Amino acid sequence: MAERGDPTGRTATYCVIGAGSSGLAAVKNLRQYGFDVECLERAEDVGGNWNFGGPTSRVYASTHVISSKPFTQYPDFPMPDRWPDYPHHSQLHAYFRRYAEHFDLLRHIRFGHEVVDLRPVDGAAAWQVTVRTADGVEETRHYAGVVIANGHNWQPKWPRYDGEFAGELLHSMHYKGPDVLRGKRVLVVGGGNTGCDVAVEAAQHADRALHSTRRGYWYVPKFTFGRASDQVNDLLIGLRVPRRLRQWLFRATLRATVGDLTRFGLPEPDHDILETHPIVNSLLVYHLGHGDITPKPDVRRFDGYRVTFADGSEDEVDMVLCCTGYLATVDFLADPQRLNWDGDRFHLYQHVFTPRHDNLFVAGLIQPDSGQFTIAHWQTVAIAEFLRARERAPHAVREFLETARRKLDHRYTAGVDYADTTRHYYEIAHHDYVRGLERTINRLRRAACTR
Amino acid sequence: MHKVRAYRPLEWALPPRPVEREVISRLPDTETGRPPLLFVHGMRHAAACFDEHWLRHAAERGFPAHAVSLRGHGGSGGRDLLRRATLRDYVHDVIQTAVALPRQPVLIGHSMGGLVVAMALARYPALGGVLVAPVAVDHGLGSALALGRHGPLALLRGLAGRTVPLRPEWLFAQLDGDTATRHMAGLGDESPLAQYQMILHGPPGRPLGGAPVLVVGAGEDRLVPAGDVRRTARYYGTEPVFHRGFGHDLMLETRWREPLDQILSWVAELPQVTR
Ligand SMILES: Cc1cc2nc3c(=O)[nH]c(=O)nc-3n(C[C@H](O)[C@H](O)[C@H](O)COP(=O)(O)OP(=O)(O)OC[C@H]3O[C@@H](n4cnc5c(N)ncnc54)[C@H](O)[C@@H]3O)c2cc1C
Ligand SMILES: NC(=O)c1ccc[n+]([C@@H]2O[C@H](COP(=O)([O-])OP(=O)(O)OC[C@H]3O[C@@H](n4cnc5c(N)ncnc54)[C@H](OP(=O)(O)O)[C@@H]3O)[C@@H](O)[C@H]2O)c1
Repeated sequence: MAERGDPTGRTATYCVIGAGSSGLAAVKNLRQYGFDVECLERAEDVGGNWNFGGPTSRVYASTHVISSKPFTQYPDFPMPDRWPDYPHHSQLHAYFRRYAEHFDLLRHIRFGHEVVDLRPVDGAAAWQVTVRTADGVEETRHYAGVVIANGHNWQPKWPRYDGEFAGELLHSMHYKGPDVLRGKRVLVVGGGNTGCDVAVEAAQHADRALHSTRRGYWYVPKFTFGRASDQVNDLLIGLRVPRRLRQWLFRATLRATVGDLTRFGLPEPDHDILETHPIVNSLLVYHLGHGDITPKPDVRRFDGYRVTFADGSEDEVDMVLCCTGYLATVDFLADPQRLNWDGDRFHLYQHVFTPRHDNLFVAGLIQPDSGQFTIAHWQTVAIAEFLRARERAPHAVREFLETARRKLDHRYTAGVDYADTTRHYYEIAHHDYVRGLERTINRLRRAACTR
Repeated sequence: MHKVRAYRPLEWALPPRPVEREVISRLPDTETGRPPLLFVHGMRHAAACFDEHWLRHAAERGFPAHAVSLRGHGGSGGRDLLRRATLRDYVHDVIQTAVALPRQPVLIGHSMGGLVVAMALARYPALGGVLVAPVAVDHGLGSALALGRHGPLALLRGLAGRTVPLRPEWLFAQLDGDTATRHMAGLGDESPLAQYQMILHGPPGRPLGGAPVLVVGAGEDRLVPAGDVRRTARYYGTEPVFHRGFGHDLMLETRWREPLDQILSWVAELPQVTR
């Protein structure tokens, strides 16, 4: 058993906040590097987003991953051969449970423990964590360091509109399945993956489906050339096809297969492919082509059940489902400056390291154009390497944090200029980013080996 | 220092083809708390070679014992695509089987399976690894030369992309003719690509999580020279253990119990958690 935080502040145990995919990887990799770990998880189960119905789960009954298995799985715990290219969320949840059992992580996790406060003590030589248990009891504990893995896809981002809407106004965080859509005229707002999935379900189950997006997008089908589309992309990346040529090839492929979407009434994209977080959806275009979805521009205002859109058109709906995304928050951190919060976003080196501390880290605060868990694995390996180097070669770690300070705002975009919107604050090009982590890991590893 | 390679776009883009795998399991009657063992066979063999003696005996000693047939071998699928199978596919088969077990197993590979296990250890944090008469971790030229000495035609056939023919006296030192003949009849085909890779491959990365490695050699091995076994052991910073009077297929020899007991004692001493 990992020993509990020692109230004197002299403790060797590290704290991981959250037992979602990122937190589990942190526990596993820190353990593998020989560190004592205690993980505090608010819910009663592992999986976070993939724990359907759990407090921070935002998947709905039909969710399948959009990143195929090789990009999504932990590299040292591949998903079963029998699973499809794009598994269902229930399989993902089973996957995290099996990962936790296989690597014997459950005995390090305290379920029903919500972190409500986090602050440094002893000149930041340790961290004080206040937890609230299910029965409302609060308790403080001290840890040698903290890995924050609380997820960033659960705090709703609400749009603001003029006027009052008299019908049901929901955010996608409330959307668990199509039952709520039946018999209603539904307006879905937002063209992220959630908005597109929900628009498809509205087309299938609601009386009417309107889909409002404030720009045109590129809709990537789940399969191209007989394989998962992300595998085609990485084949080109692996063959070193330059980014601009890749963009051209994707545009040409989409033009040849999906065709011109403006004929369905969608706006022309205002950006090049790869410049917004990818939408992977084969069904949206299908239902547009069947006339089951009416595309609409941005919403201007509401009056009762009436909606006015940016192009002046009007319509009546019973339900508005805002699929406008989520905002990152670390609300328990007493002083968000510790993570270089600028009032809008966190500034971290490689989205993991803060130059202010050698014992505070964030895992999973990324929006990859690919799967998450492979990347969370390497992030947490980097954290483990950092902690080992800190023990063996303190000066190298100081130098590393100096680099972190200098390169704080280096973004791993592979040269892409992402559209300016909140959801791209942590957007990364997976290949660029993983290479960056690889360099970090090997740099820290070399330091720890040579002392 | 061994560099970590996280960036693998071509591996992500071209995942191994899924197959159904034959896994033979022999479990102790009661839960003993001992770690699972996963046995991986060598060239042309299959899981069944461990079911002859080793699996049952390991289970009797309290170890949940499993053996997997690599794709295109024994009762596993993928026979139609065997000619395209590579060692990477075999490593995939081993790791897929390992992660399906309730706990991290000790991987035990024989011959080509030893090399496959050495590669798997670098990609999956097993509790430990045992390499039994393994094809050497750096290259298999020694085995190719040994084969060329005993049977130049066999080597030539292999180099020509055909399954390498084997003779009972290259595999066994203790068996009577009938038993040896029965085992020889059970051998299957081998992938030509895997055969080439066995000769020319680089050393795999270090075992993840610092998993300990035991290297076991056979005293009368006609296929893997003693020097190769020592080189493999040196790579892992250990001393090999040789079993005198044994041919290459230690698990099928009459005195099969000796090497297995030695392996099981080593496993029993392992720290129970990876740290
Ligand atoms: C609908 C949807 C679909 C997605 N599809 C994909 C996909 O196809 N592929 C992909 O790779 N990614 C996908 N994602 C991204 C998703 O965010 C990641 O897959 C992954 O879930 C992130 O894991 P995490 O551990 O960082 O965060 P989470 O899964 O959110 O886990 C965070 C954990 O921290 C706990 N926690 C939070 N605050 C506290 C606190 N104060 N105290 C204690 N515990 C706390 C939570 O209870 C939770 O268990 C999707 C996201 C959504 C919303
Ligand atoms: N596996 C799956 O099937 C699946 C399903 C759903 C989600 N996901 C993942 O989950 C994460 C979150 O996705 P998400 O779709 O919920 O959110 P998201 O990617 O942030 O998308 C939000 C959408 O709403 C729009 N929007 C934001 N604010 C708006 C406003 N004020 N007014 C009008 N429109 C506004 C955005 O437009 P802009 O383009 O202008 O930003 C964007 O189209 C992503 O990583 C996504 O890939 C995966």
